Amino acid sequence: MEDRVIRAKALKKRVKAPGGGSLDILRGVDLQVNAGEAVAILGASGSGKSTLLGLLAGLDRPSGGEVSLLGQGLESLDEDQCAQLRLGRVGFVFQSFQLMPGMSALENVSLPLQLAGAADPRGQARRLLGEVGLQDRMHHLPQQLSGGEQQRVAIARAFAGPPRVLFADEPTGNLDSVTGEQIEHLLFGLRDRFGTALVLVTHEQRLAGRCDRILHMRGGELA
Amino acid sequence: MSSWLPRGLRLLLWSLVVAVTALSSVGFFAERVQRALLDEGASVLAADLVVEQGRPIPEAWLQQAESLELQTSLLVSFPSVLFLAERPQLVQVKAVQDNYPLRGRLQIATAGGELGTPPGRGQVAVAAKLARLLQGADRLDIGEAELRLVGRVLAEPDVGGNLFALAPRVLINWQDTGRSALLGPASRAKYRLLVAGERAAVAGFQRWMKARLPSGAQLLEVGSGRPELTSAIERGQRFLNLAALCASLLAGVAIMLATRRFVTLVLDEAAILRTLGMTSRQVLWRYLRQLLSVTLLASGCGLVLGYLVQLGLVQAIGDLLGGNLPAAGWKPLPVALLHALILVLGFALPSLLAIRRVPPLRVLRRELGPVGLSYGVSGLFAILGYTLLVFWQVQDAVLASAMTLGMLGVLLVFAAVAFVLLRLLRPLRRRGGVAVGLAALAREPGLTLMQLAGFGLGITLLLLLTLVRVDILETWETTLPGDAPNYFLINIQPHEAESLQALLRRQGVQASNLYPTTRGRLQGIGDRKVVAQDYPSPRARRLAAREFSLGFGQQLQADNRVLSGRWFGPDERGFSVEQDLAEQLGIRLGDRLSFDVAGQVLSAPVTSLRSVAWDSFNVNFFVQGSPGLLRGLPHALLTSIYLRDDDHPVLKQLGQDFPAVSLIGIGPLLDKVRGIIAKGALAIEGVFMFTLLAAALVSLAAVQISRDQREQEIALLRTFGASRQRVLRLVLSEFLALGLVAGVLAALLANLLSLLLAKRLFDLDTGFNLTLWASGSLAGMLLVGLLGYLASRPILKTPPMQLLR
Repeated sequence: MEDRVIRAKALKKRVKAPGGGSLDILRGVDLQVNAGEAVAILGASGSGKSTLLGLLAGLDRPSGGEVSLLGQGLESLDEDQCAQLRLGRVGFVFQSFQLMPGMSALENVSLPLQLAGAADPRGQARRLLGEVGLQDRMHHLPQQLSGGEQQRVAIARAFAGPPRVLFADEPTGNLDSVTGEQIEHLLFGLRDRFGTALVLVTHEQRLAGRCDRILHMRGGELA
Repeated sequence: MSSWLPRGLRLLLWSLVVAVTALSSVGFFAERVQRALLDEGASVLAADLVVEQGRPIPEAWLQQAESLELQTSLLVSFPSVLFLAERPQLVQVKAVQDNYPLRGRLQIATAGGELGTPPGRGQVAVAAKLARLLQGADRLDIGEAELRLVGRVLAEPDVGGNLFALAPRVLINWQDTGRSALLGPASRAKYRLLVAGERAAVAGFQRWMKARLPSGAQLLEVGSGRPELTSAIERGQRFLNLAALCASLLAGVAIMLATRRFVTLVLDEAAILRTLGMTSRQVLWRYLRQLLSVTLLASGCGLVLGYLVQLGLVQAIGDLLGGNLPAAGWKPLPVALLHALILVLGFALPSLLAIRRVPPLRVLRRELGPVGLSYGVSGLFAILGYTLLVFWQVQDAVLASAMTLGMLGVLLVFAAVAFVLLRLLRPLRRRGGVAVGLAALAREPGLTLMQLAGFGLGITLLLLLTLVRVDILETWETTLPGDAPNYFLINIQPHEAESLQALLRRQGVQASNLYPTTRGRLQGIGDRKVVAQDYPSPRARRLAAREFSLGFGQQLQADNRVLSGRWFGPDERGFSVEQDLAEQLGIRLGDRLSFDVAGQVLSAPVTSLRSVAWDSFNVNFFVQGSPGLLRGLPHALLTSIYLRDDDHPVLKQLGQDFPAVSLIGIGPLLDKVRGIIAKGALAIEGVFMFTLLAAALVSLAAVQISRDQREQEIALLRTFGASRQRVLRLVLSEFLALGLVAGVLAALLANLLSLLLAKRLFDLDTGFNLTLWASGSLAGMLLVGLLGYLASRPILKTPPMQLLR
């Protein structure tokens, strides 16, 4: 098995500035993440950490440099091949939860399992929802759940698979401190259990402190 | 244009632009075509308006018409006798001025080619039938004038107005009337003043004339000439209205869907504004201002585009429509603007009003929407707005109610089916694969309902118009088949019937039945004595004064329909009266009618009122009596025949063997009605294209309302690792299913509605159309599937990260 699940070299992202010209969001980032390792990318708003996360996960295209995910160089893959690579092996948790609004909690968690062709997706989803303490709210729609509950559904969905790599973008950013702590506890508990590598983007020092390694992002570069 | 507009308003703007473009181009185009159709009708009079009397036209009338800048032309027609090879021949002389005709086309075949102007001074042109009898003569004596024969009249516009003028026509110049010395005070001449020009001026002259119309004079306007032409024009106008209405309704639905999307997009902003201290009224006004600005902008763009589109359309099919359509008028401008306002008020405002009720708490809990953003209220407003539009467009309460109720029915059916469909799809939520896409329909019932209604209504109206267009036009055209009778044989004496029929059979001539007929003047309706002067309308006065051709027979003609009462039984005595005549003369079912028939009184009750398809050219009567009434009355027989050419040997034979029988050719009138039908059909094709555009817009709006949610769903599916192809499959399965359901239902509803419309509006019989079912379902699937694909493609091309942020 490949020891390094993520490798980025001289990764750059340049976008068009609204008033004309261009803006460098990432200015050559080098990064490696090992299997099972938890890496926090800590930085202020606008420092480019979410952009980096998107590039590492193959959700966006870099302007320069190379990324490999699970041993596969993403620059040689087209969008569909990137998606194929993520299927059943990469999970996500977002600050704004990103649940399917028309789907119940159970359906949201089943969805990636159905896509990956897993056996008994609903059974697996039920178990995962049980693990995050939502066994009684499985049939609720996202709008019927509190923010903390929605993020718990998102965590259950992220660990459906289970994934080899999990990308988490400010997972407690929208939650109060008590709920945030509960989410944090769940996230790290499940990661430990499944041995999933974690790339956590946050501006909270305390949350970052729970990771194996902390990288600081400033002005589009890792310090 | 739309980059400075808030996101949700762009779709609204484009919906309105297309709506106003469709409405105004239909308005401009339909108005021009309707005027062309009226002009076609006018060509039957050879003018826009005709005043006819038995005395010369006073100079004052001419001066009045000229003061209104109207063109005028004088005409006089009178019977005369020519001696051809020592045999007398009754002819109808028509003397016209050099500018005749003011409307329509005159065609004279001369040795030097075809002429479009009347014969000059000293010249004469004769009807084809007469030319044959002249046997090469080049001079003709009309009264005391010797005139040079210059050609044969191939076509003259106002022949229809003189359908029952028995004698063949001779056309001479107005200046020769004096030389002929035939027009004495006792001559049976009919003088006509032909008037043409701007519609308002014609109307002005008509009013002036009505006020001083001497007794015995009559005003002939477009449509009063022949019921055959009026029927054809009315049918064409009805369809144009119907097509424009469908386009309006579709545009309205697109606007409603677009507004709902706009409201959904601005709810967050509205909630923040409320939190910051804006009152609900201020918040509403803010968005209302935006909506009104968009309405004005869209109306302006739509009117310009509508004018241009209409120009293109006329350019494309103008030649087919006869080359010279009248110029576009300004009338459609305010109409289109008002339409836009009604559309916005009816279809957009109710959804927008909901913004007023957005709770400020939404800034904390996004799931909180405005209270009362119900489909019911906006639906109700939409129905009111739509009904108003229908009334405006057709100004026909029955048609408007039928259209509104019909559309309501369509929507209800779609709602019911959507409900059942959602129930059926519920179990699919447990399964993966394509089922995920299908299950998406069940997850958002409101959205699915709106989409299904949007797609469904679009396809229904599209299919309905296709059906009505093809079926009704075909049926319309078959009401006047190629072998429609083109000659009437009248004044056949009962003892001649058998030998005449035998002659026709021998010559292989196709003839209708023989109908007994007699002439009678209406004397009384119930206890009321009929006095022409008692009727306010000139038409009613004319009808009351005229002698009717009363028909007798047990059979109801195939192109007649009993509207009230019942057709008389075998031994019953009664009259069946044509509906329009009954209305004009105030005849009701059960009234006892008394006719003076050659000094005898014929009296019987009215047992039925019926409609007559005059444009079928079959033998028809305004008043038909039961056979029993005929007993003891002098009568003649009447039949109609079809002859392929005017040189048919039977014509000569009829003249020789049955000299008392009159032969009336109606070929030119038939051609005119055929021309109107052909032009009407083309206009309908043109207007139909706008409905297509509006239907595409509704479907686009229906796709767009779920765009935001679709963006998020697609991004997440891609993030989880679904390939583009797979996502596309899911999206397509959802849209194809919607399209299929919408298509099948639309085919059913369109078929039912077309049956209803054909019967009620056009008085035609159509049938169930199986091809429609297949094509409707397929078209629905393909159209909606294609739109779904086109709407999802750009989303699929966008990196998921961009969408999730």
